Amino acid sequence: MKAVRLLTLLRKRPGYAVGALLLALTVLISDHLDFNAASLMAGWENFVIIWGEAMPPDFDKVLFERASWSHPRCESSWDWVCSPAVNGLLQTIEIAFLATFFGMILALPLSMAAARNLSPEWLSDLSRAILAGLRVLPSLVWALIFVIIVGVGPLAGVLAMTLYTIGYLGKLQYEAFEGVDPHPLEAARAMGLSRWRVARFFALPEAANALLSQMLFMFEYNVRHGSVIGLVGAGGIGWYMSYYLDPFKLYDRVTALLIIMYVAVLIIDRISLRLRARFIETEHAQKASWMGVFLPWNRN
Amino acid sequence: MSEAPVLQLDGVDIGFAADAPLLVDVNLEVHPGEIIGILGRSGIGKTTLLRTIAGAVPPLRGEIESGAPLGYIPQRLGLVRHQSVGYNVLMGGLAEAPFWRAALSLPDAELRSATRDAVARVGLSEKMLEPISRLSGGQQRRVAIARSIVQQPALLLADECLGELDNETALEIIDLLRGVAKDAGIAIIIIDHNPMRCATFCDRVYNVVANKLTEAAT
Repeated sequence: MKAVRLLTLLRKRPGYAVGALLLALTVLISDHLDFNAASLMAGWENFVIIWGEAMPPDFDKVLFERASWSHPRCESSWDWVCSPAVNGLLQTIEIAFLATFFGMILALPLSMAAARNLSPEWLSDLSRAILAGLRVLPSLVWALIFVIIVGVGPLAGVLAMTLYTIGYLGKLQYEAFEGVDPHPLEAARAMGLSRWRVARFFALPEAANALLSQMLFMFEYNVRHGSVIGLVGAGGIGWYMSYYLDPFKLYDRVTALLIIMYVAVLIIDRISLRLRARFIETEHAQKASWMGVFLPWNRN
Repeated sequence: MSEAPVLQLDGVDIGFAADAPLLVDVNLEVHPGEIIGILGRSGIGKTTLLRTIAGAVPPLRGEIESGAPLGYIPQRLGLVRHQSVGYNVLMGGLAEAPFWRAALSLPDAELRSATRDAVARVGLSEKMLEPISRLSGGQQRRVAIARSIVQQPALLLADECLGELDNETALEIIDLLRGVAKDAGIAIIIIDHNPMRCATFCDRVYNVVANKLTEAAT
């Protein structure tokens, strides 16, 4: 009778059933992964030791001391320019910039080909498969592969981030293309324009604001991930972190680099947010657009 | 009419399924400079008729003869709203531009001049660099007409391009269309919902009633 009453209750309130299922799954998975209080306590002891060594952060060493072991070699005569923090951060931003630039340029034709409203089905499927393939591996794994192929340094970072950017940005872009107003595309086809002219001169300007906003978001994302790929030797501030961590275990310097990276990401995030706001449309106010920047046909 | 027709429809059935045509046995002949009005309630097949003439929808039966270049102004105009008036008008000549000029975004002097002339013809020279999104409904229709002028069509298909306009603006657009038809000899087929208005500016008016296109007495 109790079971029947329980079933009736679950049928009346399906939210309870979903909640119970989620709870059961959480318990089962935690058990499977040894995620329990004993493991957490063991980790806590290590955390206390590392915290003791990491505090206070050593900003002097990472901000003002020349890193003679920097790669590629820093040529500036000012020590602070060649410090792990400044040189590493600059390298991370440079890697992110190049990866976003190349990624954007290479993703555009692929995403146009992937958009269902611009391309035949076979081409769309093929392009989507390529973009999905590039997204299968995270940038960290791409970085590992390129460190093996081209060696340690920022080049591996740029290549890894570029490939990931193509996959990620390409998906965002084809979704933006598919979301454009269909009427200009219909009008363009009625005027006898070929597929690529419809895509280039009608779909691209219609989606331009979204594309620019996505590009800025991707740059910000690449800066954040630029620090991670450095850990496997692909340049940037992460490379200096891994140098301090292994084998020297200089946690106070790593903490200083992490704080500097955090502040830099916050600043870039704010700037990116401001810039992206310029490209987000409201119903009554059309803000800045691509007009006249990439499309000289405006200046007739 | 002594001149050869720019469009001839002989016994054409229009629609998407042969067993349920929207219009049957359509016979229509359009000559250069003529303005043909088409009336009928919403959803009866007027737009499909225009799209069939434009070649976007194949006819279910019958013959459509039109060797003339076509211009098409869709109901929603189909302008690129982030771009300028000049850009949109220039797009009318894009189909004819050679591949390399289009690829490098370098329109030739002739196309640029045709664009300027068309924009001047519709009275928007001062708005040449204004984005479409900042124009009024009437001005946007003018841009769509200018884009069609650049296409240099022999036949212009205008789908409800007077809809949602106040009387004064509608009259301005009508004057503009009449001027285009008479000066450049462009034939126009226009869909409208106002029989009185249609009768005043069209040379012939047709009604779509009970799957038939029939000429109205004017």
